[in-house]
Amino acid sequence: MLKNRSIPAVVLSVLLAGTATSAFAFDWKAHEGETVSFLANNNPWSQAVLSYKDEFTALTGINLRVDSYQEQQMRQRLVTVLNSGSDEIDVFMTLASREGQQFAASGWYADLSAYTQGSVAPEYDFAGVSPALVKAATFDGKLTSIPLNLEGPLLYYRTDIFEKCGLAKPASLDDVRAAAEKIKECDAGVTPFASRGLKPAIAYTFSNVLHNMGGTYIVDGKSALCAPAGQKAIAWYGDLMREYGPPGAANYSFYQISALYRSGRAAMAFESSNELRTIMEGGERLNDTDVIPLPAGEAGTVPTAIGWGLAISSRSARKDAAWYFVQWASSPEMQKRLALQGVASPRASVAAEEEYKAWIAEAPVRASWQAALGVLASDGSSEVGYPIIANPESRDYIGQAVQDVLLGQRSVEEACAAADSALDGLIARK
Amino acid sequence: MTPGSTNSQGRQLAALSAPAVLFTVAMIAFPVVYTIWLGFHAFSSTGEASFAGGANYAALVADGEFWNGLYVTFALYALSMVLQLVAGIYLAMLLFHSKRLSGLLRSLLISPFMMPPVVAGMMWLVILDPSLGAANYILVSLGLPASEWLASPTWVIPTIALIDTWQWAPYVALIVLGGLQSLPPSVYEAAQIDGASPFRIFRRITLPLLLPTIVTAAVLRSVDLLRFFDIIYITTQGGPGNASNTLNIYGFRVGFEFFNIGYASALMITLSAIVLAAVLVLNRLRNAVAW
Repeated sequence: MLKNRSIPAVVLSVLLAGTATSAFAFDWKAHEGETVSFLANNNPWSQAVLSYKDEFTALTGINLRVDSYQEQQMRQRLVTVLNSGSDEIDVFMTLASREGQQFAASGWYADLSAYTQGSVAPEYDFAGVSPALVKAATFDGKLTSIPLNLEGPLLYYRTDIFEKCGLAKPASLDDVRAAAEKIKECDAGVTPFASRGLKPAIAYTFSNVLHNMGGTYIVDGKSALCAPAGQKAIAWYGDLMREYGPPGAANYSFYQISALYRSGRAAMAFESSNELRTIMEGGERLNDTDVIPLPAGEAGTVPTAIGWGLAISSRSARKDAAWYFVQWASSPEMQKRLALQGVASPRASVAAEEEYKAWIAEAPVRASWQAALGVLASDGSSEVGYPIIANPESRDYIGQAVQDVLLGQRSVEEACAAADSALDGLIARK
Repeated sequence: MTPGSTNSQGRQLAALSAPAVLFTVAMIAFPVVYTIWLGFHAFSSTGEASFAGGANYAALVADGEFWNGLYVTFALYALSMVLQLVAGIYLAMLLFHSKRLSGLLRSLLISPFMMPPVVAGMMWLVILDPSLGAANYILVSLGLPASEWLASPTWVIPTIALIDTWQWAPYVALIVLGGLQSLPPSVYEAAQIDGASPFRIFRRITLPLLLPTIVTAAVLRSVDLLRFFDIIYITTQGGPGNASNTLNIYGFRVGFEFFNIGYASALMITLSAIVLAAVLVLNRLRNAVAW
């Protein structure tokens, strides 16, 4: 009888019953014979995970039909299919920081909250997924995707060049600029600083600068690029790239930055944590590079931390089977395997795995990369561009303002005023 | 065969071919009609359509980026067309007069336009990289100043026009070569007997006689150039700034990156009308110069 038991005993028995239920009731073969279609962005995560897809079919009996495209082409197909109300796609990759608000407002995401609480294998450990990334993927209380990786821009810098030029590890944004100035005098053969200059790509790196300066994109419902912190951030980024960046910086994205740094032609590169593997290819940069979060500005260090997620289409007719694929692909075991291939995991527990620790210990740069990722996970902001439905379009105006300064076509005041005016229109748009 | 049986056969043929004809017409008409319909609608953030009348088209007139896109589209069109016709005619003359090399040269010439534009774009992106690319290495080795190529607002349009010319001038050359081979030799023999110089023969005989062929090549290239997309998207995505943002690139980004399908459809219908008008004008020109 309940009244004869102590409260802790009741709680314990309920917890154990819950554990027992999920441990024994979960059946990986529950959807055997069904087919799930997956629309993938052809990036390192999907390439790595899809190399194990036969294991998924063997485990569940579910057939996986994969369509894989480059990011923009994938988004183009996704929007066309979802807009038409088709149930053709069951699972798709999504970037919550970019299209999350738009897709959520359009009703294109299935709510995954109930799945994470009910239909999970005992080893899944949803609570172990980065709470910051889960929060970033939650719109109006609905969980729209399961985080797959953790990424953000980091500062890669050449320790040998810094030593030759008598420079210490940069501790502030001013130090970065001072270091670029010194390197330009000390070693004319290298580009002092490289970051993204391609208009649609700038918001990814610029947002980190803005947040470190203490800025934010919207204040009292209005665009705030012309606020003091916004102006300082535009000036810092635009001037640095114009004066110390590579020739043709206005066309620079991850591809050019990684190639330049890997070839030994850049002293500092502010680029995605995902690029570690590309930058270290060939091993030339393995022993002369340190990786740190972007040094502090007036508001300290507020790194950008985002991640791709796996979502289930609200139009899907096979949501339960689709969840099995999502669960398998985002499981602790799979994320450990991917981490060993340089895909940073959104699960903190992966860093404690022996295999992973051994991989990290193989090169000092991996240890500093892991430490920097720790800062991203704990202090990161996922605000890349304006937190509005028209986020992708807002990134264009941010990029335009920075590019105007980078190319010397407008002053900071003119550039931010033009951007604020256009962005106020976007914020007002419903 | 009686007239009655001919009519009966005609009806049978029409009935047999009707499904294929209807299917083809529907396949062509549906996307066009649907895009026109989209262009007259606005979409809420939840994807609900509401009739917007001519609002999307009125917004075009007030949109500075539309006018910039129109300018970029025509600037790129004009420059690429001139370069491709000049280079194409020159290459055709070269092939026509170097008969022993023509087999090998023709094979080499075909290779650029057999290459997928995305591959061509990636290849030139690497060659023209201001820091690591071969183009600046060669310029600097020759004592010339390095260029920012695709990253310079001033040079981006000429650079893209050069890339497209590299890929498509050989195509123009093959069309012109076909025209050259069909010209009547008697006219040339008469001109040579009269003592005309090679340049005079080219200017007074070859060029006028080739004009219908050249205009045909121009029509074919016009359609591609006015809806130029792939190489620009790969190399600049419309930048730096908006310096290479053609109407096609702008429409794509508005539709598939900014999710404004109604406005993007209005842009695409306007671009289609421009392409159609250009083809009609060039077709009239072709009829006027036919001999």
